[in-house]
Amino acid sequence: MQTPVTEIVWPLGVYAVAVLIMVTATLAISHVLGERHSGRATGEPYESGIVPTGPSGIRFSVRFYLVAMFFVLFDLEAVFIYAWAVSLREAGWAGYAEMVFFIGVLLAALAYLWRIGALDWGSIGRKSLDRRKEESRRDADDR
Amino acid sequence: MMPADFTALLPYLILTGAAVAVLLAITIVRNHRLTAGLTMAGLVLAFAALPIALSAAPRAVTPLVEVDGFTIFFDGLLIAAAFAAAGFSYGYLQRRRIRREEFYLLLLTATLGACILPASVHFASLFLSLELLTVSLYGMIAYLRTELFGIEAAIKYLILASISSAFLLFGAALIYTDRGTLSLSRILLPESAAAGALHPVLMVAGLGMVLVGIGFKLAVVPFHMWIPDIYQGAPAPVSAFLATVSKGAVFAVLIRVFSLYTISSESGMYAVLVVIAAVSMFAGNWLALLQTNIKRLLAYSSIAHFGYLLVALLAAGPNSVTAAALYLAAYFVAILAAFGVIAAVSGSGGEAQELEDYRGLFWRRSWAAFVLTSAMLSLIGIPLTAGFIGKAYLLLAGLGSAVWLLAVVLIVTSAIGLYYYLRVILTMAQQPAAENRPAQPAVLDSRLGNIVLGALALGILWLGVFPAPVIEIIQRTASSVLPF
Repeated sequence: MQTPVTEIVWPLGVYAVAVLIMVTATLAISHVLGERHSGRATGEPYESGIVPTGPSGIRFSVRFYLVAMFFVLFDLEAVFIYAWAVSLREAGWAGYAEMVFFIGVLLAALAYLWRIGALDWGSIGRKSLDRRKEESRRDADDR
Repeated sequence: MMPADFTALLPYLILTGAAVAVLLAITIVRNHRLTAGLTMAGLVLAFAALPIALSAAPRAVTPLVEVDGFTIFFDGLLIAAAFAAAGFSYGYLQRRRIRREEFYLLLLTATLGACILPASVHFASLFLSLELLTVSLYGMIAYLRTELFGIEAAIKYLILASISSAFLLFGAALIYTDRGTLSLSRILLPESAAAGALHPVLMVAGLGMVLVGIGFKLAVVPFHMWIPDIYQGAPAPVSAFLATVSKGAVFAVLIRVFSLYTISSESGMYAVLVVIAAVSMFAGNWLALLQTNIKRLLAYSSIAHFGYLLVALLAAGPNSVTAAALYLAAYFVAILAAFGVIAAVSGSGGEAQELEDYRGLFWRRSWAAFVLTSAMLSLIGIPLTAGFIGKAYLLLAGLGSAVWLLAVVLIVTSAIGLYYYLRVILTMAQQPAAENRPAQPAVLDSRLGNIVLGALALGILWLGVFPAPVIEIIQRTASSVLPF
């Protein structure tokens, strides 16, 4: 049954050589055929379009990331629930119990997010105001 | 699932429940003491459930998880270490003005992941539990958001751990391509080899990549670059957790794999592991020699300690598992005590990391200095400490199987280690230089931290003087199931 090692390795070797040839060819051909010029915007990162104006460091709210993360989290959980829904009868009551537990944990996480004010939009939500007050009070207690 | 399955899984279920309970507790009322109390109660409950789980062992729950004596012993060790780390965290976080409660949530999920690792007999459960542990660790390392070193360490750990996970996954995929199974107990069997097995290259490449992934987590020599920076940047209780729970759990996986197969001493794999062990012992002790930062010193020395541990595995004799488990237990106690002292003497401004910070500690805080001294003596392996018994068993296992080279390297490098461990003790005994250093801000003693430190110091002495009960427990649980 054992095939000699060389017989397994040679397609891999051909593949590697092919990759090398392709990369070298791409770079070399574009180097030879490509045009060279030095305009005002040649050194700019976005060369082929309009010269950028204004600063690139625009600040936008960290909440966008938060919402994106919540979306990924809760959307992914929905995938699991769909998988369970398809096999509802096969999974039986044991599957039902597991799913109840799963959704229960999810709800606990949602309650937590709600409580810490992660779902509040706006510059400063009521919850986070309350929380800051509470925290400063607690820090005072600690000291 | 049968009721016995739930009995076997009880410790994990309790840990999961504790994590959800802590989450809900934070939702309802934010209180550091309550959260820490709940966490530690959950850990104690999970520990107490281990004998119950043992009554159902050995039991394979699904093809993924095997709960046997070996699993139970390591789970006990890991849960106890997590308990100590939680104890240090309480006083450490209490001194800082941040939100403290979420830390315990991460600690619980990390502990859950670590506890499932020794039970994993399948690549799927191995990878899932490893990721649960690692992802929680990212958050724990970066927990002090205002400290740049912590963020830097977390980003380094994030990138390197992801790469090592990718290696592990790719390796598992290659092995699966070759053998058609992900079960750890079947991948190397001759039957599976006959079933798929047209591609020895795939198998060798797969095993090599898995070794890279595991080696990274253990920080043995070619994969050790991350460890000093991460230990230094992480908060001291997290470093303690990393050094014990994270590395110990992965080492348990390695022991399980080794116990499933006899690796012939002529094979290439064996030679690679011998080189890794020997170079780890040398490099770890060598790099630690001139360190002046105590956390980096402990990081480098931990490379050496895992090199020592590999000696037991490579010996593959009847006492190997006992020796490895005992050494790991002794190492846990000592390294937890060392990081516990670092956490305890650190003020609210920053951590006491430089050796200079420990000058004259015997006069300022004799209790902490005493615990650190016993930890250092145990790490050297001085008689009457836990480390001595551990090292003696390692040597016995090594000499019993006649792995002369590794045994000699172990002795020689241990002698090198003497220098830097003793230097720490010497620094603590020196008179404080009064003129140049500003007085350390008075640090409030955390009662909980002191109790845990006391228990650890007692553990070091007890294991060193009267190790018989622990060895008996190990022989009853950890080594009974393994056909070494």
